[in-house]
Amino acid sequence: FTSLPEKHLVLLRDGRTLIGYLRSIDQFANLVLHQTVERIHVGKKYGDIPRGIFVVRGENVVLLGEIDLEKESDTPLQQVSIEEILEEQRVEQQAKQESEKLKVQALKERGLSIPRADTLDEY
Amino acid sequence: MAESSELAILEDYLLAEDAPLLEEMAEEDEEIDLYNEMTFGLDRDSMEEEVAKALAPPVKGPELSLVGKNEAAAVAEVAVEEEDEYKATEQPGLGAEEEQPMLEEMEEAGEEGEAEPGARHDDFADMEEEIGVDEQEEEEEEGEEEEQHDEDNEEQNDLGDPAVMRAVHSKPTLESLDSAVLDSRIGSTWGEFEGDDLDKAILQALDRGPPMSHMNLDFLVSPAQRGYLGSPGLKRPDFRMMSPKSFPQRFMRQQSPMMPRSMGSPRPYMPSRRASPLFTPNQSSGYVSPTPFRPMSRNISTPTQPLAMHFGPMSPSLEPPLFFSPPAGCQLKFSVPSHMTQLHPQHQRILNQRQQRGQAQSISPKKAWSPKADPYSGLMTRKEKDWVIKVQMMQLQSENPHLDDYYYQAYYHRLERKQAEEELLGGRNKQEPPKLVTPYIQKMEIYDSVVRIAGSLGQVAVSTCYSPRRAIDAVHHALQEEAAGNQRLRALHRIEKMFLQLLEVEETQRKMSLLPEEQHPRFREKKSHEVGRIYQALKIRACDSEEEAEDEFLQVLCVRKGKKLTARLLPHLAREQAEEILVTVTRHLPFLMRKDVLDESLPVLYGPLSEMVGRMTFSELIEVLQELTRPLAGSTELPLTMTFKNQFGISLLYALLSHGERLLSSDMPLEPHSGDFEKWTDTVFLVARELSQVPKTALVEPLFLPSNLLSLFCRYLDKQTIHRLEAKMECSPLPSEAAMPC
Repeated sequence: FTSLPEKHLVLLRDGRTLIGYLRSIDQFANLVLHQTVERIHVGKKYGDIPRGIFVVRGENVVLLGEIDLEKESDTPLQQVSIEEILEEQRVEQQAKQESEKLKVQALKERGLSIPRADTLDEY
Repeated sequence: MAESSELAILEDYLLAEDAPLLEEMAEEDEEIDLYNEMTFGLDRDSMEEEVAKALAPPVKGPELSLVGKNEAAAVAEVAVEEEDEYKATEQPGLGAEEEQPMLEEMEEAGEEGEAEPGARHDDFADMEEEIGVDEQEEEEEEGEEEEQHDEDNEEQNDLGDPAVMRAVHSKPTLESLDSAVLDSRIGSTWGEFEGDDLDKAILQALDRGPPMSHMNLDFLVSPAQRGYLGSPGLKRPDFRMMSPKSFPQRFMRQQSPMMPRSMGSPRPYMPSRRASPLFTPNQSSGYVSPTPFRPMSRNISTPTQPLAMHFGPMSPSLEPPLFFSPPAGCQLKFSVPSHMTQLHPQHQRILNQRQQRGQAQSISPKKAWSPKADPYSGLMTRKEKDWVIKVQMMQLQSENPHLDDYYYQAYYHRLERKQAEEELLGGRNKQEPPKLVTPYIQKMEIYDSVVRIAGSLGQVAVSTCYSPRRAIDAVHHALQEEAAGNQRLRALHRIEKMFLQLLEVEETQRKMSLLPEEQHPRFREKKSHEVGRIYQALKIRACDSEEEAEDEFLQVLCVRKGKKLTARLLPHLAREQAEEILVTVTRHLPFLMRKDVLDESLPVLYGPLSEMVGRMTFSELIEVLQELTRPLAGSTELPLTMTFKNQFGISLLYALLSHGERLLSSDMPLEPHSGDFEKWTDTVFLVARELSQVPKTALVEPLFLPSNLLSLFCRYLDKQTIHRLEAKMECSPLPSEAAMPC
C-alpha cells in the first residue's frame, strides 16, 4: 500500500464494472467505493459514468482487484463518451437478444424449451 | 466520594441536556466504538476510552456506552483487564441485547480495576472545554478512587436501573471462546503516557495523528500473540515496542516467553509453512484494538477546531493538515499490512516492489491525489484490514487441504514440478513457487452443543456461533438396507461402501507419496490390509451359470459403478486376486455382456484388465482362454462368438491373443504345463474359424487392435484365411506379405 490510495476494480454479478477507491471492506466483502465510475465496455471501447459513492453488498461481488495506477494508462482500449458507449451497449444488447430469440425459436422447433437463465450472473 | 461522583453524574447529565443533538451523535459513536472494540480489540488510543468506560458507573444503559475521550488515562491495568473480559462477537449491527453483555463485562472490569466513576464526566458534552483540564481532574480522581472501587461498584449495583447488569465474574464464556476474534492484548503507548504531562501526551497523539491508522500496530504485539504468520518485508522500528508495565499478571505470564523475542531488533520476515498455533483461545487474552477512526478524529480535531464539532463521519472540512501531517522524519506513509498479515506471496511481492520504488524515488510527481487532500484514505484502520484478512484466511484453512482445496493443491504441485524441471534444465536458482499459506489458527475446542441435564425432560441447547441453532441432537444413522431384501439395492449399498473404502485407500496412497521414505512400509501395509478388506467384500467366488444372477460379485459388476470400482481397484490388488477377477469376468463374460447392452460400460474394465493380461504367464493365459472356448451350458454357442458382437469382449479377446503371441515370439521360457500348447493352437484355430464365419458387419471394432494378431494367425493358418481375416479385422497388412512362410 502506497501513500496514494489504491484504485480498485470491482466486477459485480450483474456484469457491471465499477472502478473506485475502496474505502472499506468487511468479512462479507461488502464494499464502500468512493468516487466510483461505472465503466461500460463494448468491444475495444469503454465509457465511464461517474457514480459517486457505492456501497455494495458482498454477495454481489464477483471479484475485486487493485488497479496498478502506472499500468492504467497503457491500455489498448479506447475511451469514448458516455453517450457513445451507451449507444454501443444498446446495439450489443439488441444483437444478443436477437440471437437469443433465434436460439429459443430453434429449440422450440425441436421440442426443447430451456428456461431462461436468471438475470443475475448472466451478462 | 460516592456521592460526589453521583452528583458529578447528574451534573453531566444536565450539561448533556444542553446539547441533545450532540449527545445523540456521541451515543451513536459510542456504540460504534464499542462495536469496533469488541470486534477488533483495543489499542492504546481506545484504551483510554476503555478506561473511561470502565470507570464510568453504569448509571444508565445507553450512557454506559459513552466513551470519554481521554487520552491520558493512566490506568492501563484497568483497560487491559477489561480487554480480557471483552466478548467479541463478530456480528455487525449490535443490537441492544448485545450491549448488555458488554455492559456486564465492563462492570466486571470496573469491579476488578480501579473504577473511577467520576471520569465519565469527561463527556462529550464537555468536549468544548479544555481537554487537559478534564483529564487532569480525572487523573487526580483516579488516584483517589483506587481504594474505593469496591464501594463504587456496590453503589453502581444499587442504582437499580434495570438496564444495569450485575457484574458476574466468570471464566471466559463459551461465547467469548467461540469468537473468531480473540487477539492478544497489545501494549500501548502507556509508557509514554504515564507521565503527568497530559498536555504533552495530547500533543504527541496529535503529532502522530492519523498516520497511526496507517502504521502497523504490529509493533505493539509480539508475533506470537497475534494469529498470523510473520508478515513480509517491512521492518518496523522497535521504538514502539513497549513493555507495558501495567499489564496484568496473567498477560505477563503468557507473554514473558515471547517478550524477549519480540523485543530487540526489528523482526525480519520469517516465512514458514505452518505457523504454530498462535491463537490460544483458552488463554484468551485481551484484544488487539484498532485505532477507531472516529474517536481519533475527535481527539485530534476538537482541541484545535472547537467549531468543527462533529462526531459522525469525518467531513472533508476537517482540516487535513492536522490529520495527515506526517510525523517528523516519515516522509512516506506506507500502509503496509502488519507483518502479521499473511498475504499471497505475489501480492506481497508487488507491495514490496512498490515500497522500494517509493523509497527510491521521492513522491511521484504525477500523483493525482496528495495525501493531504485525501481525507478518506484512512477510513479503515490497519487493525480492521488485518482483521478482515484474518477472517478470510480462517475460512481458507482446512484440515485436509488436498480434499478441500484440491484444485489449488494440484495446481501448486504441478507448478512445483515444472519449476523443479526448469531448475534442472535451466540451472537457475531454485525458485520457490509462491504459495499461500494460511495462518494456522487453532480450532476451538469441540463441545457438545446439546447438553443433557440429568432428570430434565429435554435438551438444553447451547447456541454458539458455530452451531447457532442446534436444538436437537439429530444424528443420521445409516439405514440397514441389508434387510431390505432388494438385491439390487443391496448391491448398490455394497458398492457405495466399497467405493468409500477404495477412496480412502487412494487417499492414503497419495499421502504416502508426499511423506518421507521411512514411513512408506507402514503405509503400504495399511493399504494392503485395506485393499484386502475390499476384496473380501467383493465376495468373488466360483459360481455356475445358473447362479449368475444371484452371485454378489456379478451383481456388483452389473452396475456401472461396480465396474468402475473394480477397474479402479485392480491396480491395487495382489496378482492372484487380480487374476481371480479376470478369470471370473471371462468366465461370465456372456452374462456380463448381456447385462451391459444398455449401459455399455464394460470398456471401463478393459484398461486394467489388459494390463493384467500383459503380465500373465502362458499357463494362466491358457486357463483364461479356456473360459472363452468352453461352450455355454445348454447351447453349442461359444462365448467366443458372442464376444465378437461386444466391444469389450472382442477387445479382451484380442488382448489375450496378442499377449499369447508376444509370449511365443519372445525368447522367454514359457514354462507351459502339459497340454498348454495344444490348447493354445486349438484356441487360435477356433478364433480364426469363428472370425471368418462371422459377417463383417456383425464384427464390432475393438477398443484396441493389437498389431501382432496377424502374425499370430500366420503361424497356424493358410494364406487365404489370413487374407480374409485381415480384411475382416481391418488389420494393417503385414509387411512383405510375399515373404511370408505361411
